[in-house]
Parts: sequence; C-alpha cells; structure tokens
Amino acid sequence: MRIVTLLLLMISGLVQADGIVVDKVYHPYVLPNETELEWRLLSRQTSENNLLGQRIAFGKAISERLMVEAYLVGEKTADEDFGLAAYELEFRWMLTEQGEKWADWAVMLEVEKIHRRNDWEVTSGIVFEKEFGRTSLTMNLFAVYEWGDTIKDEIEGEFRLKYRYRWIPELQPAIEVYSGEDFFGIGPAFMGIFRIDRQEQIKWEAGFISEISQSGKDHSFRLLLEYEF
Amino acid sequence: MVRTNKDRFFLVSLLMLISASLSAKTKEYYLTLQNHVFVPSEIVIPANTKVKLVIVNKDDTMEEFDSFDLNREKVLFPGKKGHIFIGPLPAGRYEYFGEYFPNTARGTIVVEANHVD
Repeated sequence: MRIVTLLLLMISGLVQADGIVVDKVYHPYVLPNETELEWRLLSRQTSENNLLGQRIAFGKAISERLMVEAYLVGEKTADEDFGLAAYELEFRWMLTEQGEKWADWAVMLEVEKIHRRNDWEVTSGIVFEKEFGRTSLTMNLFAVYEWGDTIKDEIEGEFRLKYRYRWIPELQPAIEVYSGEDFFGIGPAFMGIFRIDRQEQIKWEAGFISEISQSGKDHSFRLLLEYEF
Repeated sequence: MVRTNKDRFFLVSLLMLISASLSAKTKEYYLTLQNHVFVPSEIVIPANTKVKLVIVNKDDTMEEFDSFDLNREKVLFPGKKGHIFIGPLPAGRYEYFGEYFPNTARGTIVVEANHVD
C-alpha cells in the first residue's frame, strides 16, 4: 500500500528527482535457472561536468519468477578519480506470465549503499511491457527514497520508457525516454542478442540520450553487455 | 432504473453476457516434447486470437522453448507440463526451437485468418 501511495504521489508530480536518470529500461521477464554477468557504462557530458559511471553485476534467478542481482558501482566525477562508489542489491519479481494478461508486469526493489558513507537509497517500482505486433513498449516507474549522514532525506520519482522494433534478434532499434523532475531526455537506442550455445547468450544495449527540457549541453551515452549462462 | 419486465430481461441478459465473456476460457493447444522433438511439428491457430499452448516435456532433460517470431521464451522442466500464451497474431508462420537441442526440437505455429477447428 505504501508503494502504491508513493507511486501515486510520483505520478501526480509532487515528488522530484534530481539524480542521474539515464540507466537501463528494465523488462519484466525472469527465466528460471537464468544466471548472468552484466557490465554497464554511462558517460554523461554537460556544459559544466563530465561523469563516467560503470557497474558490474552478478544475477541469478532464485525461483521461477524472482531474479536477484548484486552490483558494484564505480564512478568518476570532475572531483574524483574512478573508484568504487556504491554497492547495490536488486530484486525483480515477475508477476504475470508473458502474454497472459493485457500487458506483462513485474515489481522491483533495489537497495543501494554508498561506499564508506552511511548513505542509502531504496528504489521500488513497477515494470510494464506490452506488445504491439512486432514492436514492444516497455515502461518503468520508480519511487526512490534517499537518506543518510551526508545526503538530504528525500523521495524522488523516475520514469523510463523504451519503444522497440523487434527487427532481428541481433539488432532491435528503439527510442528511449528518461524523466525525472529536473531531467527529460530522449534519444535513439539499440539492443540485440547473440546466441552462443543453449542458454548461453550475449545481450547488448546502447543508447544516446539528450536532455531536451533545458538549454545547456547534456548528453548521455549508455552501453550494456550481459552474458547469460 | 429498471421499470418493466422487458428492462429486467435485457439487464439479466447483459449481465449473463458480461459474465460469460469474463469467464471465457483461452483455447488450449497441446504440444509434446519427446526425444528432443516437438510433436506435432506444426500447429494451426486462428488469427487475432490469444491461445494457450500447453507443452508436456516427456524427456528427462530440461529444454527452453525459444521464438523470436513469437517473442516468447519458456523453460520446460523434465517430466513437467508448461504453458505459453500466444497472440493475438496476424496470419503467418512463426518458427520456434528448443535452445538445448535446436537441430531436432523445432516447430512452427501457423496462424490462419480463416481458421476452422
């Protein structure tokens, strides 16, 4: 009920987001026995700052519908060299079978702790996907609660959208939208899957997102590689 | 506001219709995996209709149903029954395969516009 209340608050625009919104648009699906290694890169250039973020993760489906991923997050900012920035634990619970209902749904919970600081972030939200012929619309709606010794207690909202054309497995072009209170970005993205053997496969994603709600320069490039086995 | 028997009749009919449509069951089609072969290899379903594909894995090994055409992936546990919801789809041929034995475990879902059971 609390999550629903937070989401309603977020939708109504009463909460604000001011962090990095461009990341990954999550899909609601979990496959039993799925194990994965993931690497993500985000390069964001603004008029004042350059930021480089990387994260590596190990994920495992621990039941037919529940996926758990553990992350190490590294960042390089204008003030600091690249180094370990945070740890994160993520749970994704698939609520519906693919195609069973009008749309496919999952819920997510992430807990992140900043390295060497008593600062925390908890993210919860819903993941949605709907097929329209050979295209798929995927949306994520998150509520983010931050607290700690060096950050202000606040609740933020995030919205992510991907509209993808399932052209061929290796190359699926898409448009991605990322939104928080102070950020509205949109841009082209691509994803694909290369099969190796049995459950072994490599997924890749890339996106070029430009912030369009403000006049200054703010471009993000994101890249994801995932090895499933 | 319901005033006459005629109104009541139409109201009850409407409620029955809504109730029937809510409880309408998705039509099921059956597929068996044995010796790493899907049987039958071709299943014909109606266009623009959601169907439920029930798959029985009679092998003693795991298989994963995979189809980019159908946009579906499903793990089939040995000796168990699984199901996949397909559609609504336009008419056409949709290929699928088993990830563990892709050379033998293959099949096609044929979606027909004028399908008759």
